[in-house]
Amino acid sequence: MTAMPLTALALDELRALLGEDGVVADASSLFTYDADAMTLSRVAPDVVALPRTSDEVAAVLLWARSHGLPVTPRGAGTGLAGGCTCESGGVSLSLNRMDRVLSVDHERLFAWVQPGLVNLWLSQQLAPAGLYFAPDPASQQVSTIGGNVSTNAGGPHCLKYGVTLNHILGVTVVLEDGASVTLGGEACDAPDFDLASVVIGSEGTTAVVTAVCVRLLPVPEAVQTMLFDFESVEDACHTVSRVIAEGIVPAAMEIMDRHTVGLVEAWLQMGLPTDAAALLLIEVDGPAVSLPSQVERIGEIAREWRARSQRVAKDAAERALLWKGRKSAFGAYGRTASGFYIMDGVVPRTKLAEALATIYRLAEERGLEAGNVFHAGDGNLHPHVLFDAKSEQQQQDALEVSHEILRMCIRFGGTISGEHGVGIEKRPMMTELFGADDLAVMERVRAAFDPARMLNPGKILPGGSGCGEAHAHARGPAQLGGMMFGVDAARSAGPEGPNLPWI
Amino acid sequence: MQLTKADFRIGGAEPRELWVPANAEAAAEAVRACAEARETLVPWGGGVTLAHEAAPERYDRALGLGALDAMVAYEPDDFTLTAQCGITIAELRRTLAARGQELPLEAAHAERATLGGVLAANASGARRLRFGAPRDRILGARFVTGDGVLARTGGRVVKNVAGHAVHRLLTGSEGGLGVFVEASLKLLPLPPARLALTHGADGALLADAARWRAFPRRECAVLTVLGEEAAPSFTVPGAPFTVIVGYEDDAARVADDARFTAAQLGAPRARRDASDVPPLWQELATLEERPGARLTFTSAHRTPDAIAFLGGHDAARTLVFHAAHGRLHLWPRAEDATALLAAAAAHGFTPIGSRGIALPARPLTGAKHALRVRLSDALDPARVFALGERWRAR
Repeated sequence: MTAMPLTALALDELRALLGEDGVVADASSLFTYDADAMTLSRVAPDVVALPRTSDEVAAVLLWARSHGLPVTPRGAGTGLAGGCTCESGGVSLSLNRMDRVLSVDHERLFAWVQPGLVNLWLSQQLAPAGLYFAPDPASQQVSTIGGNVSTNAGGPHCLKYGVTLNHILGVTVVLEDGASVTLGGEACDAPDFDLASVVIGSEGTTAVVTAVCVRLLPVPEAVQTMLFDFESVEDACHTVSRVIAEGIVPAAMEIMDRHTVGLVEAWLQMGLPTDAAALLLIEVDGPAVSLPSQVERIGEIAREWRARSQRVAKDAAERALLWKGRKSAFGAYGRTASGFYIMDGVVPRTKLAEALATIYRLAEERGLEAGNVFHAGDGNLHPHVLFDAKSEQQQQDALEVSHEILRMCIRFGGTISGEHGVGIEKRPMMTELFGADDLAVMERVRAAFDPARMLNPGKILPGGSGCGEAHAHARGPAQLGGMMFGVDAARSAGPEGPNLPWI
Repeated sequence: MQLTKADFRIGGAEPRELWVPANAEAAAEAVRACAEARETLVPWGGGVTLAHEAAPERYDRALGLGALDAMVAYEPDDFTLTAQCGITIAELRRTLAARGQELPLEAAHAERATLGGVLAANASGARRLRFGAPRDRILGARFVTGDGVLARTGGRVVKNVAGHAVHRLLTGSEGGLGVFVEASLKLLPLPPARLALTHGADGALLADAARWRAFPRRECAVLTVLGEEAAPSFTVPGAPFTVIVGYEDDAARVADDARFTAAQLGAPRARRDASDVPPLWQELATLEERPGARLTFTSAHRTPDAIAFLGGHDAARTLVFHAAHGRLHLWPRAEDATALLAAAAAHGFTPIGSRGIALPARPLTGAKHALRVRLSDALDPARVFALGERWRAR
């Protein structure tokens, strides 16, 4: 669906539905909704709708349908793939005012929440009851549960606890025709197709989520965080594989390579060993009785793979410090180069070392700097390529390197997105990952949910029937095919949160 | 063993023809031919559940998938596997156990049950809450749509969000939307310690909510209640109910869990450790497929007291209730079914399956029904899948 011109009369109708404060239509304000954190692909919506209830969401969809406007749901705008960019104009449906915890069942361990609820707020509200919501994308201080559902978000701790899908029992959604239905529910099973599992991860292309039933877990009794340093990235990767192969499933296993460590240390001066080829952060959690033996065995394995040192956090403050280095990586890139390019590829864990060597070689061949910080436990790489944003040649080189890296992920048996989705960014790569028949079947399912193709048209699937039309009429700049950040963009902050990359 | 059409009876109905494709492409060709001929087809795994189902309205061909039984790729260090869907669960288990790993899904009659059948049924067994159902473990799949298109969605790596997850939609669709021919799954290491504790319980203990309240937070692998006649080989003699509590973790935690359970329930009547435990989980799964008219319910309940309302009902004697994830199986007398359905509904149990008992018809209207029909039309435009008609009629 391509947006029709929006008339003053139509805007008045929308204001009548949502109230004056539920509609944003002035050009300067619309500009702040023109992208998510992938800021080099910007298209301002024609209007922003800010519903407060599921009924208002339905009303907006019906209104948009009657005016031929596509609708793009939006959470906090922390996505890195352009998933909530209104590529075809139309309505940006911001769900941020639907941010309440609706109910909590402390005994049966689930809660109903609204989609605009910030991920971390949920766990903070549950903390006194000793419960939490396990998915913890790095953006969890800002990103919303609805956004997490839309991208099937992961996070550092999904190695042990799984991704968002594994923690969602049901969703209430509004379909493109304004009908509200609950898919799944509070029970593990439903007498139906598993429709919720299709909506989860569909990046707002199948339905608008207006309530989510999440599984809750007891807060682990104890946590231990360790940091090791290695003289080779390969040894760090082998340690990761060995630990898991022994049947230990840590809560998180994160690697920063020498390049990243150097940038973080230059910024934060935490005392990180800048001569190390890689730092490996491992966190285990669970009952206090279980952890000492795990910590001991992990230490032994790391030493077998030539770890030079081991640091075990003595308390919560030190644990936070160890994590701070990891979480500051992207801020460090932003203050170092005028542009950087981040990918979200996945390779089989056993191919990590080979993948890293390939990434370094690809960047070096074009005279670019590259480094990595990544979720090593599940093979989810976030390679970054630094470039001079003022150099078109370097930008082009970075783009080509990134494509080669994602092709490498496919060649190694992996995929082009582990946790951020396809959006606009990865769309051109979908034809390299899937065949025409595969994509056509995906399109069939999507069309069954959204026959009018009005929900976030053009995202995920490249060309072809249905979404191809919207794509051809897209009003934004040409897609870039990667997560590319200019420093100015990375440092800017919109009203819905900072446009910093969260990985 | 040479299979015949008689081996593919559903509710006594025999297919007019039996096709046994040798590979995925041949399976797709068979479905396509069926669609062009406007005939109906039922994909078959091990027939663990199908044989007991009601006969479909029309049943032209059976598509036996037993020849698609190869392990395509097993990467122990990545904890993933890709296998053709005719491989049996028992065969998978043997391969994985040799490397200290498992696919934590139980299916009745594991020697016959196939990977494709388990996926199509979203069968999980007693450990579902802790380790997930097939929808949680499937990473990607190749499948055949109703017009014979061989497609693939998802991938083979443990983290993977590229594209629409059609493979998850097919999981649990009971052969109504497509035919699984190959699937990739996420594995787990075998736990260092396993423990299964068997306790007898009377109605008062079962109904004592305070006693069970702390169990969900212990994250039991299994918390299952059996009626006194559910499984004579391992229910507690003389006890109206048997409660089986299972833990799988490191040795220190399992020992701690055992102390907790003893404090709540007293000394167990029987105890199994280590490799003696998985056969019990298998027996529990097989119990679910006990012959006879059956009702299956789902619920949000997490503790055994949720079924206290069944005290005094005849069906309580043979029930299987996986309290950890709220699934209840009853084998009621025909004359009791209506009252049981009403009582179950009043206590938060929703029927999700029945065998030999007609569930009350629901109106075929509403947005969800329309969506279900659109999805069926999208993936099975020629209405080839005989069992898909049941979804359209829900």
